[in-house]
Amino acid sequence: MLSKAVASAVSVTLNPKTTSKFFGLKRVSFVSSDSLVFGGKNSSFNADGLKKSRSCSRMESFVTKASASAQPLKNADELIDSVETFIFDCDGVIWKGDKLIDGVPETLDMLRSKGKRLVFVTNNSTKSRKQYGKKFETLGLTVTEVKDSFLSIVCLKFHRIPSPNSSEFSQEEIFASSFAAAAYLKSIDFPKDKKVYVVGEDGILKELELAGFQYLGGPEDGGKKIELKPGFLMEHDKDVGAVVVGFDRYFNYYKVQYGTLCIRENPGCLFIATNRDAVTHLTDAQEWAGGGSMVGAFVGSTQREPLVVGKPSTFMMDYLANKFGIQKSQICMVGDRLDTDILFGQNGGCKTLLVLSGVTSLSMLQSPNNSIQPDFYTNKISDFLSLKAAAV
Amino acid sequence: MLMSLLTLLRLSFLTVMVIIWKGDKLIDGVPETLDMLRSKGKRLVFVTNNSTKSRKQYGKKFETLGLTVTEEEIFASSFAAAAYLKSIDFPKDKKVYVVGEDGILKELELAGFQYLGGPEDGGKKIELKPGFLMEHDKDVGAVVVGFDRYFNYYKVQYGTLCIRENPGCLFIATNRDAVTHLTDAQEWAGGGSMVGAFVGSTQREPLVVGKPSTFMMDYLANKFGIQKSQICMVGDRLDTDILFGQNGGCKTLLVLSGVTSLSMLQSPNNSIQPDFYTNKISDFLSLKAAAV
Repeated sequence: MLSKAVASAVSVTLNPKTTSKFFGLKRVSFVSSDSLVFGGKNSSFNADGLKKSRSCSRMESFVTKASASAQPLKNADELIDSVETFIFDCDGVIWKGDKLIDGVPETLDMLRSKGKRLVFVTNNSTKSRKQYGKKFETLGLTVTEVKDSFLSIVCLKFHRIPSPNSSEFSQEEIFASSFAAAAYLKSIDFPKDKKVYVVGEDGILKELELAGFQYLGGPEDGGKKIELKPGFLMEHDKDVGAVVVGFDRYFNYYKVQYGTLCIRENPGCLFIATNRDAVTHLTDAQEWAGGGSMVGAFVGSTQREPLVVGKPSTFMMDYLANKFGIQKSQICMVGDRLDTDILFGQNGGCKTLLVLSGVTSLSMLQSPNNSIQPDFYTNKISDFLSLKAAAV
Repeated sequence: MLMSLLTLLRLSFLTVMVIIWKGDKLIDGVPETLDMLRSKGKRLVFVTNNSTKSRKQYGKKFETLGLTVTEEEIFASSFAAAAYLKSIDFPKDKKVYVVGEDGILKELELAGFQYLGGPEDGGKKIELKPGFLMEHDKDVGAVVVGFDRYFNYYKVQYGTLCIRENPGCLFIATNRDAVTHLTDAQEWAGGGSMVGAFVGSTQREPLVVGKPSTFMMDYLANKFGIQKSQICMVGDRLDTDILFGQNGGCKTLLVLSGVTSLSMLQSPNNSIQPDFYTNKISDFLSLKAAAV
């Protein structure tokens, strides 16, 4: 025990790959490698019955699938014809910050004209699906808003045939991790008399409201401060049954403490993360610390691992495959991040295409430190058009 | 097990943890116990993971509580961060970005290092407008992270940029305590949450200078010329204090006057076993009396 403790106490910079932990919701085993720094004084987990595991073996089990190297995309038609649905990540694939990436509208039109279903999945939880619909609009891409997400199957049945010449989408859907959090709570019949404490932005609040859940927190807690005076006690609502954590530009110690109290002291309280992205292009100028930092803070204070609803967890994939009746082998996941998008696609059993228009470069893909290999890679999605033209 | 406390008194040196107070209240019998130990020629050292104060400021806290303790006997993780940078000859032309409180700033200043950040960054906000770029100082060679009640996204982003983009930038944590008794009323999220945020955004593990890392133990053993077998570590936390003592090869005594209860110690989930346990340090007095 001593030697293990010494080895873990002298923390040195690890290969970043070993510290990333991603969990599909169905097989939830918690990897407590961070808290092993202190010799593993983890108390057993709470009433939701999740076990702990001391190794990163689950992470490895997801990456061993792709042993062959990624192929540069040459025959776009072959890929397009082999699948029925394309799932696109948004940041770094469709847009970068607030700028549309070249050739996107035409590419999406082309895919639709071939009868492909297009779905947009983003880990960004700052907006609700409705608000994302507006972002698509502002960028000149019109997405049909589905008012009630649970009527989506009905709507899709009546809007089966896309109109080839307009940029209007009729069978597409937007899935943001803000929606995923609410959908997850619904899927487990989270009691309506329980509350959700939100460390995150407006998108999460809106989706929880739409789903009929009571919530506390969100942006307004960004203005709250605490005075650490003798005898001071922070009260917290004992009815909070889940803490949902996502990117939060208004992050502060009040929220850390409030959420920590709920998770540690309310029996059975869930700890849910919209995503664990380390960095993200919040503006097109640079990378910004992402939801992974807010989630990391709570992992540090509670010594618990969260249930992740966003990529690379398969929750959103299973949800949309179920809602739309799609076969996973008929899906191609297109994204710019290996450890969220591509892993998401692989976890889901889909084809995967990496684009180099976002955060991942060719050298990162080909680096010996990288073990995540998509089926294909290409520069940007408009290559679907140019490669197609070249093949003619 | 309790009777064996007397054997600890035969040691030449005794290292005592800060289980001297809870929040701002002195624990019963502490002054008399420390006096007794001193009268027997024991060296007392006070080691705390709390980085909000400097050693000097801790000296004052001891004074206010009526205890005579010199600065040289105090080792806070704020001091440990500065001492660590000194030990690796951190260049004086490089800067340190601090996500933490005044204690760290004061110790860095005393050690002659340039720093940025600290409490004043608590008032800074960012506007995520299109095209907005946050600049950061390319001369930052280390980011030191400790408990920070003024924690906010500006600091997370600034520190993240330094760690990710400045070549060779160090990521140092004063401690990773999950929770700590910042007021005696309840447990508060500790340095482990600030550090956890950076682990999340950089996907790197930090160099930990506070307990249970042996850095402070090695430092004081070296400074005072102490044999580790001659040291008894006394503390209330299994995963920081007791592990610290064990990592250092010392004897360990757990007191139940803090965060750890007897049931937690004896729980099947617990794998950290100190050599001894007792209720509080003043048991040294009562048990001694009982043995007479």
